[in-house]
Amino acid sequence: MSDTPAGTPASAPATKRGLERFRMYAEGKRAMITMIEESPDPNPVLLGFFKLMLADDERIVDCIENDKPLLSTWYGNANEICAAMDIQAYCLVDNILHLGPTQEDLDGMDAVPIPADMCGLIKMGAYAVEKGLVPVPTAMIAMLEPCDAQSALHEAWMNTPGWEGVPTFALDPAYGATGWDYDYFAGELRRMITFLEDHVGRKMDWDRLREVIEATNKQYEAWAEYNECRRAVPCPHPSSFPTSDLCWGLTQHIVAGQPEVVDVITMLAGDAAAKVKAGVAGVPGERIRILWADLVPFWHGPLSEWLASEWQANVVMDFQGYTPYEHIDTSTEDSMLVGLAKRCLNEVPMIRQARGSVDAMIEDITRITKDYTCDCVIFPGHVGHKDQSASVGFLREACRDLKIPLLILTVDNFDPRFTPIEELSRQIFEFFEAHGLGEGR
Amino acid sequence: MRNELRSTALEELKEAAACLTNPALEEWKSQGGKVIGCMYHFVPEEIITAAGAMPYRMRATGSTGTELSEARFTQVNCSFVRHLFDSGMRGDQAFLDGVVSANNCDHVRRLYDNWVAKVPTGYSHFLVFPKKSGPEQVGAYRMRLAAFRESLEQHFGVEISDEKLRAAITLHNQSRALQRRLYELRRSATPPITGAEALAVMVAGTCIPRERYHGLLKQLITDCAGAPGIDAPARVMVVGGELDEPAFIEAIESQGGLVVTDMLGYGYRACAKDVGTDGDPLTALARYQVLERPADPRLFGRTTEEREHYITRAVEDFGVEGVVSVRLMQCDHWGFEQTNLMRSLRKRKIPYLALEIEYVLGGVGQLRTRAQAFLESIVEARNV
Repeated sequence: MSDTPAGTPASAPATKRGLERFRMYAEGKRAMITMIEESPDPNPVLLGFFKLMLADDERIVDCIENDKPLLSTWYGNANEICAAMDIQAYCLVDNILHLGPTQEDLDGMDAVPIPADMCGLIKMGAYAVEKGLVPVPTAMIAMLEPCDAQSALHEAWMNTPGWEGVPTFALDPAYGATGWDYDYFAGELRRMITFLEDHVGRKMDWDRLREVIEATNKQYEAWAEYNECRRAVPCPHPSSFPTSDLCWGLTQHIVAGQPEVVDVITMLAGDAAAKVKAGVAGVPGERIRILWADLVPFWHGPLSEWLASEWQANVVMDFQGYTPYEHIDTSTEDSMLVGLAKRCLNEVPMIRQARGSVDAMIEDITRITKDYTCDCVIFPGHVGHKDQSASVGFLREACRDLKIPLLILTVDNFDPRFTPIEELSRQIFEFFEAHGLGEGR
Repeated sequence: MRNELRSTALEELKEAAACLTNPALEEWKSQGGKVIGCMYHFVPEEIITAAGAMPYRMRATGSTGTELSEARFTQVNCSFVRHLFDSGMRGDQAFLDGVVSANNCDHVRRLYDNWVAKVPTGYSHFLVFPKKSGPEQVGAYRMRLAAFRESLEQHFGVEISDEKLRAAITLHNQSRALQRRLYELRRSATPPITGAEALAVMVAGTCIPRERYHGLLKQLITDCAGAPGIDAPARVMVVGGELDEPAFIEAIESQGGLVVTDMLGYGYRACAKDVGTDGDPLTALARYQVLERPADPRLFGRTTEEREHYITRAVEDFGVEGVVSVRLMQCDHWGFEQTNLMRSLRKRKIPYLALEIEYVLGGVGQLRTRAQAFLESIVEARNV
C-alpha cells in the first residue's frame, strides 16, 4: 500500500510549518491502531481504516520533512488525477475533522478575524493556515463549490502571510447537470493537469489514471453494496454517521485508488449483510428510522447515542453516505475525464446537494426516505449551508407530499458549541413526541 | 453633512432611489413598456435594453419586515434576500414583467428558485455566471448570453439583432461615462455632492428609463459646476457589495467624514469600465462581465489585484484618508474580503473600519458612534 518511509521520530525538531501537527495526527492514529489491536475483539474495518489514514499522514510528513512536492486540494477536485500523477495531496481540514478539534483549536477559530456567522469548517480552514498548522503547499487547487465561503476561503489563504505566492488553480464548477456541464468541467480538469505538470513537475500517466479509476469504481461499488444493506428493516448497523465518515474518508481523503480500500469497505458490507440475514438490528428494538439531510456533524457521537438509547432511533442514512456513484468508463482519456467531471459535480457529498438548483436535494430526500423506509427527516440547517437554509420551503413541500414529518434545526455541523446537545435533544424530543414517532412499531 | 447644492435633477434622482417606482418608470409602463427585474449585478442589462425592455435592478427599498419570507428562508440567510422575497410576496414588485437572476451567491440563487415558485412572474430566466475569470469562462458565458437573448426573443416576440445590441451597449456606456464624470467631480478638494447623494444617483440609474436618466445626470453635472462644494474634516472611501441605502452613507457623513469615492456594486464598480464596441457584441458583454469589469469577491482570482488597484486609485486620485467596508450579515464573500482588506490596508497604514449591517438599516446610533470614533482617529493621525 505504501512505499514511503514511516514518519520521523517525534523527537526530531519540528521546525517546518505543519510538521508538528501532522506528526501529532500520525501519532494519534498509531495510538488508535494499537488500542484496536490490543482489544479482545479487534475490529478489522476500523483497523484497516486507521492504517490507511496513517499511511497518508506518514506520506505527508515525509513530504514536509524532505521538501517533496505537496499539493493542497479538496475532495471534489478529482483526486484520482493526483494519484495518477504521483502527487501527494492534503486537504487541510481533514485531520482536524477526523480527530476532532482540540479546545485550543476551537478557541483559535474564534480568534480568526472572520465573522462569527460563518461555517465552523471554514473558520477552521482559515485558522489552520493563519496559525501555521498546515504546511505551505507546492501548489494549490481551489475548489469553488459547494458554497460561497469555500471560494472566499481560498482567496483569503492567498492573502495570508506565507501563502501569498503559492501557485493556484481553481476549478470552475458548472451549475447544471447536462452533458455540456460535464464536458466543460472535464475541460477544467484538463487545464488542471497542465497546471500540475507545470507547477508540481509531475507528468500525467493516463494508464495509471485508468488503474486508479478502475480501483475507485470498485470502491464505490462496495460502498453501494453497504448502503443497500442499510435499507433493511431493522437497519443492521447503528447510526450511519461513523460509516459515512469512514467511507468518505477512504474514498476521497487519501491517495485515490488503493485496493486496500475495497477490502475495508467490502468487510463493512459483509458484516452488514450477515446481520441483515440474521435479523440483527444496529439499534436494538429499532423504532424510528431517520434521514439526516446533511453531512455528518462533527459532534455526532453523543447525538447518536442519545437517539439510540432514549428512542431506539437510528439515523439510517445521511447526505454524506448517500451519493449514487456511477462507474466511470475508462476506455479513453475523454471518457475518464468526463466521468470524473460527473463524479466531482454530481456525486460527491454536499456538492451534489448544494452546487446547482434545489432539485438534487429534493430528489435525494424523496428517494432516500422511500428506499430506506424513513419515519422522519431531520434537516440540521447547518449555518454554512446558506443555499439549503433557503430551500426549507421546498423541503417542507416535499415532506408534506411524502407524508413524512420534518424537523428543521439550526446547527453548526463543525462546532459543538453552536447548538448545545441538550438543546438539540430537547428539540428532537418535542418533535418525536408531537408526531407520535416510534409508537406503532 | 450639509450640502448647499441646489439641483432639481438631484432631487428627482434621490426620490427615485428612495422608492421602488418613480414617475418616469410609471410613464414607461403606461406606454406599454416592459420592465425586467435583475437580481444583483451580474445580469448584462444591455441585452434587456436591446429587447426594448427596461432593466431594473431589484431591491426592497421601503420594506419593513420579512414575515412572508419566514417559511422559505431561515435566519442563516441574509436580510437582503429575505426582504426582497417578502416584498415580492406582498406584490410590491408587481410592476415587473419578468425576473432574471444569476448564481451570484448561495442566497440569491435560492432566492430565484423560491421567487419562480411563489411570486407570480411573467418571464424568468437564470443566467449561470462562472465562478472564476479566464478565456474559457468568457466562451462559456457567451453561450449563456446567447441563450438569454433567445429566451427574451421568444417570450417577448422581439428580435435582438447585433445592431440593437451594439446600440444598447453604446447607450449603457453613455450612462457609465456620465457617472464617471460625476465621480471625477468628487476628486475636488471640495466635492459638489456628498457620498450619500452620489449613491442615490447611482441607484436611480437602475430604475429610471435610460434616456430620462441621462438628461437628469447631465443636468446634475451642470448644476455641480456652480456648487460651493463641501469642505469635510476627513475624506473616506466605502467598499462593499449590495448596498442600495444612502442612509448608511449619511450615517458616516453625519459624523464629519465625506465619502468621496467607493467600490460598491451600485457604485464605482458599475461604471468604472465600458463594454467594448468592436466585434461580436455578446463576446464584448461576456468579456466585460468576466474579465474587464472591476471584480468583487464573487469572482475568484481577481479580487486581490482589483483591491490593490482601487485602493491606490482612491488614495492617490481622491485623497482618501480612511476606508470603511460594509458587509451584510451572513455574506460569506464579504466576510473574508473584509479580512483581506484589513491586511492590505494595514500594510499601507491606511485607517480602516469594518462594519456589518442588515439590509434595512437599524442601530443607526451605534453606527454613528463607530463612525465618529473612526473619523476622529483619522483626524488625530493627520495632526500627529
